[in-house]
Amino acid sequence: MNIIKIKFVVPLLVFFLVVGFLWHGLKVNPNHIPSPLINQPAPAFTLPQLFSPNEITSRDDFIGHVTLLNVWATWCNTCLEEHDFLLKLSNIESLRIVGLNYKDDTSLAKQWLQENGDPYHIVAVDSSGNTGIDWGVYGTPETFIIDKKGMIRYKHIGPINATIWKKTLHPIIIQLRNETL
Amino acid sequence: MLPELGNFAIILALSFAMLQSFSPLFKQNIRFVQIGTTSAVAQLIFLSLAMFILICNFINNDFTVLYVREHSHHLLPFFYKIGAAWGGHEGSLLLWCLILSAWTIAFVFFSRKNLPRNIYSTMIAVLGALSTGFIAFLFLTSNPFKQDFPDSPMVGNDLTPLLQDPGLIFHPPALYMGYIGFVIPFAFAIAALLDGKLDNQWARACKPWVILPWAYLSCGIVLGSWWAYRELGWGGWWFWDPVENASLLPWLSATALLHSLIVSEKRNVFKGWTILLAIITFGLSLMGTFLVRSGILISVHTFANDPARGIFLLSFLAFIIGGAFFLYAVKIKDFYQASQFNLVSRETALLINSVILLTAMASIALGTLYPIILDSLNLEKISVGEPYFNIIITPIILILLLIMGVAPHIHWKQQSILLLWKKLRISLLLSIVLGVTLPWALGFKIHLLTCVGLAFGLWVIISTLQYCFTSKSSNHIPMITAHLGIAVLVLGITINKSYSEERQVKLFLNEKTSLAGYDFTFKKLDETIKSNYQSQIATFLIHKNEKKAGTLKAEQRIYLSHDQLFSKPGIHYNVFRDLYLTLGAQHSDGSWSIRVYYKPFVRWIWFGGFMLLLGGFFTFIPIRKRELL
Amino acid sequence: MNKCFIFFILLFLNRYSIAAEDYYKFNSHKDQQRFASLTSELRCLVCQNQTLAESNSPLAEDLRNQIYIKINSGQTDKNITDYLISRYGNFISYRPPLDSSTVFLWFGPFIIFIFGIFYLFYIIKKNKQ
Repeated sequence: MNIIKIKFVVPLLVFFLVVGFLWHGLKVNPNHIPSPLINQPAPAFTLPQLFSPNEITSRDDFIGHVTLLNVWATWCNTCLEEHDFLLKLSNIESLRIVGLNYKDDTSLAKQWLQENGDPYHIVAVDSSGNTGIDWGVYGTPETFIIDKKGMIRYKHIGPINATIWKKTLHPIIIQLRNETL
Repeated sequence: MLPELGNFAIILALSFAMLQSFSPLFKQNIRFVQIGTTSAVAQLIFLSLAMFILICNFINNDFTVLYVREHSHHLLPFFYKIGAAWGGHEGSLLLWCLILSAWTIAFVFFSRKNLPRNIYSTMIAVLGALSTGFIAFLFLTSNPFKQDFPDSPMVGNDLTPLLQDPGLIFHPPALYMGYIGFVIPFAFAIAALLDGKLDNQWARACKPWVILPWAYLSCGIVLGSWWAYRELGWGGWWFWDPVENASLLPWLSATALLHSLIVSEKRNVFKGWTILLAIITFGLSLMGTFLVRSGILISVHTFANDPARGIFLLSFLAFIIGGAFFLYAVKIKDFYQASQFNLVSRETALLINSVILLTAMASIALGTLYPIILDSLNLEKISVGEPYFNIIITPIILILLLIMGVAPHIHWKQQSILLLWKKLRISLLLSIVLGVTLPWALGFKIHLLTCVGLAFGLWVIISTLQYCFTSKSSNHIPMITAHLGIAVLVLGITINKSYSEERQVKLFLNEKTSLAGYDFTFKKLDETIKSNYQSQIATFLIHKNEKKAGTLKAEQRIYLSHDQLFSKPGIHYNVFRDLYLTLGAQHSDGSWSIRVYYKPFVRWIWFGGFMLLLGGFFTFIPIRKRELL
Repeated sequence: MNKCFIFFILLFLNRYSIAAEDYYKFNSHKDQQRFASLTSELRCLVCQNQTLAESNSPLAEDLRNQIYIKINSGQTDKNITDYLISRYGNFISYRPPLDSSTVFLWFGPFIIFIFGIFYLFYIIKKNKQ
């Protein structure tokens, strides 16, 4: 092939390269922001607990357990959608679900849990939202999976349901459970 | 009853489009070609009917039609009901098909008699194939006449508040006239490739069909910028938003095409390049519509969509443009014709122009698509925005401005550099001197980048005016107007970016704030109720040096069917600056957060764009009449 | 008497010349400009087609407050962007990073231009009279 021929094929090749990328691009969700905190230690925090405001929770509470940290608020309608499923999950013995009540009113939060059920082992209260910023929270509900050493291993954005649990979250939890401290 | 008719009109239009694609292929028999032409006319009639019916559905508040229900409300003002017909994906796609059909008929009307039959028949068939594809897409995946009949009484969702603005009436149609118009040069290119030759006659016939869409696209982009400025609340006129970029790409490519076409017409060279640019330009139009409708990018412009539509559009795009590029690769070697020109010549200058414009186009495309590229390779997720584009585009534009000032003075085939230098050195000096002293004369601080921008913009103005007065240039009034327009645009951008100021404050009634030598006093607050919204209107008095300079009114609206607050900025403008004010949140103590902006020379940006439109318009005035100007 | 008169004049004038409170108060004009340029180069994660400067979402408000506090406490622009990027990733910055995966992004335009110029010279050489 002499040079003249090759140069005329270049537009076609470049075009198909671009189309290839666009084709792949159709499969990803552009709004979905991955977390840079994966495989990093959970960010430090000291927050009061919802039902015992004089007691403090911190990331030390994660050590030794596989934890699901669920970021929620009473003003978040989608959080209500996943709430029933969280209640089912809370029946699993070896799984701890910790709540992070994000930029909310404490009395409304307590009332909400009393009305709808409380799946949480404890609830940390982040009224200012500053802890949420440290965790990279940008839209409730968000759920983090934290391992026994207190490292963040996964972040799920949006509500959890049975399909997502079965396909993505549960396998990770099983794997983490088998890890030693 | 009406929506069913509308649906039927689309089916008929689709049938005629298919006929239009096949019939002219039998070009030996003139009857078959004529059937193609007649089908195109029938297609226009039925698409116009469908659009008319859709608009009637909006005016009649026929909420059984899903599309009407999603984008309208019985209290929506009349003109916005019409605009809402193309405010969403399905309706704007119908508008797209209609405009494609209209361009086809315009081409039939003006060019049929000037073209040999086999060129004409190929072009009609290509246009028919494109129409078929788009109307099929409309009918199969995005039918605006889809209905349902729920039991409960229906209420419309109302049109998004951002779209309830005169900009909706003009910006999408102007933009589509631009995007879609490039289908004609594309069809010219395909016909030339299949025909095996391309001569001056082809270039001359094709030129108006490049200039007209180019002018419309310029107009559409300027309208979009002006609309965003008035609506979005922070005085920005360009955001490097992916969809905005998508409109700039075909514009840059079309500008390169236009200049290349001029060379093809005059010197009978660069034919292969012209054909390639015609394919690229229309390809970019198609990619633009894909990016907006597929949901692949985040943008304020995107229609809410499902990826299935994206797949259809991408496949269609791949087939049409891929096919065109394949045809190019196979047939183009037949077109090569050597010419003779020197290093310093107008041919070279125009080639450089192509290189620069296409570098700009490729860079903007790269920046816009890069997040998608990285994401699809499962690498990190990044954002590419204004900081990147400003850094990349600025040097490219400066080089372009330099060439723009030199090129008209260079002769075809060859030019002595010494003579060129002698001719232009005074203008060059004058531009540099003025560039440095102008900010000082206007009372502004001097920054390096500002002086550079001003010097380059002034260079184009001075050099172009020098050309205007020293040569018989009535043929070149369009070029002079358009180049001056670009210079005015650059001056506007330079001054606006260098000297804009803003301030965010909390104000009580009767309090004032100041910015850039102006005082803004919060005079009164009124409440009013309009057809589909409630509004609080804040009136501000503007003073400069203790003298009254005007008033402005900023609003905060709550639309009946949307819970959100919508801020409409108050703008006070004159030739040299805009004063721009937006209401933010009202606090519990009765004070208001407001943002006030001083925006110098922002209107020059749009005026420069308008001059481009004027330049395009001037090409259609016969040369003899231009001498009267 | 004169003093009273002056006092009342001052009181009267004072009411009408109250300069409104700046929403964000900075120690210097330079800091204010830093705030404006930082917030306009960062992306809102909720309303993803707006900058932090433009967005009215609560998260944008929170992040603007954080940036304001950090500027006033003397942190550099790099400190602030690092703080945000370590929590939200590079997505939050409209200025893409320069690393191994973005080399082609930053140098691509230049490469394309050089390639264009070389091709240009090739064509000119072919057509030289």
